[in-house]
Amino acid sequence: MTLLARNLAVCLFVALLTGITVAQQPRTIIFLDPAHGGPDPGAHLPNDLLEKNFTLAFATRLRAQLSTSGFAVISTRDADPAVPFTTDQRAEIANHAHPAACLILHATDSGSGVHIITSALTPTQDDPHAPIPWNTAQSASIPQSLTLANEIGLALQRAKLPVILSRASIRPVDNLTCPALAIEIAPLGAGDDQTPITDANYQQNIAKAIATALINWRTRQQQAAAAPAAAAGGAQK
Amino acid sequence: MIPRYQRILFWSLIAGILLMTAFLLRGCEQAHRRLAAPNDFTPIAAPTSTSTEDVTLYIANDAEASITPATESISLPQTPTLRARALVEHLLAAYADPGSAHPLQGGPAVDDVFILPDPQPAAGDQPGQLAVVNLRGAFVNNHPSGIQVEALTIDSIIGTLHAALPEITAIRFLVDGQPHDTLSGHADLLRTYPATDTTTKPMPPIETK
Repeated sequence: MTLLARNLAVCLFVALLTGITVAQQPRTIIFLDPAHGGPDPGAHLPNDLLEKNFTLAFATRLRAQLSTSGFAVISTRDADPAVPFTTDQRAEIANHAHPAACLILHATDSGSGVHIITSALTPTQDDPHAPIPWNTAQSASIPQSLTLANEIGLALQRAKLPVILSRASIRPVDNLTCPALAIEIAPLGAGDDQTPITDANYQQNIAKAIATALINWRTRQQQAAAAPAAAAGGAQK
Repeated sequence: MIPRYQRILFWSLIAGILLMTAFLLRGCEQAHRRLAAPNDFTPIAAPTSTSTEDVTLYIANDAEASITPATESISLPQTPTLRARALVEHLLAAYADPGSAHPLQGGPAVDDVFILPDPQPAAGDQPGQLAVVNLRGAFVNNHPSGIQVEALTIDSIIGTLHAALPEITAIRFLVDGQPHDTLSGHADLLRTYPATDTTTKPMPPIETK
């Protein structure tokens, strides 16, 4: 066998192995929901900006950032449809896709910085096979949602952005079966030095921080999944 | 020479005019008396001294995303439904004051508060009461839009009702007597909220290993 043929065979084998590995490790899915849309404009923000338009623009920015970081992104809308999905339909899309994290994007003129909101439902520790009511579907995922909120909060803090972690009852967060958060973007600071939410740099910093947090979150999830397997392997030996 | 029938017609018309004038004058007098009646400040009942009492209001702060209890001395009716309504109205009116940390538009906000036996008490708990807060459409339409700001209003009402009327175990919201999806596009108004102490102080993110 010539050297060229041998090299070609090695390359093919490596490519085959890589392909198998990639096929075994599907890309982590992130669900994005730019809130409102169509006849529901959401909040009326300064400079005649509607919340539905802002959330769509920010979702596009965040989607690009997440795709660059190796995530697969599912979004409930890429435009402003005449008849948008209802909150129940948005939750159904997410629950069918089984994403690693669900992010519901909002904007407001009240408060300052980034508000990360987790469901106010009480966590349940019942039988995992028991039926879950639709209105409290998120209750089983509250601990993971709180961990994810903390992770994103830390990333925003490291990016020198003010962040508030809080809890509230909002749809579709309460109906989601994945770790879910609502991310509400408010202007930065107050008074004359206020940075509006339309500031591209401000938006980019938030998107970057969220992507960084999700990378850390994915790594932790993979480590947590690998730890029991390693322990089981060690016990067999 | 004026014909006889014309003279009769003339005097009949004059009589009609006089009758109509008398009728109009009497109508005006009655209307004036009716309109002036509310301005009659003649004392009818002996004055009663209204005693004030200390109540705890759960005050929201947008900048801190917090709810802090604060004690105020106000006079309230004794009937629980009227008491609950007056309390919520007082709380929401305070947010319309200049310099409020959770600014809301002024004006009447609450139509009624109904107190009923709780149809779905939590398992193991004593049956309590369900308060149904019927908000006015004008208040809801003018409420600032946002998850946090709406949640703070809801939590502020819940905490205040819970502190003043501990027998209330659950709270629901209506708008103009009808179920309403959200307060102003975000906070869920279709669910029943447990009446609890809603004091909130958001914690910063915690470093993990």
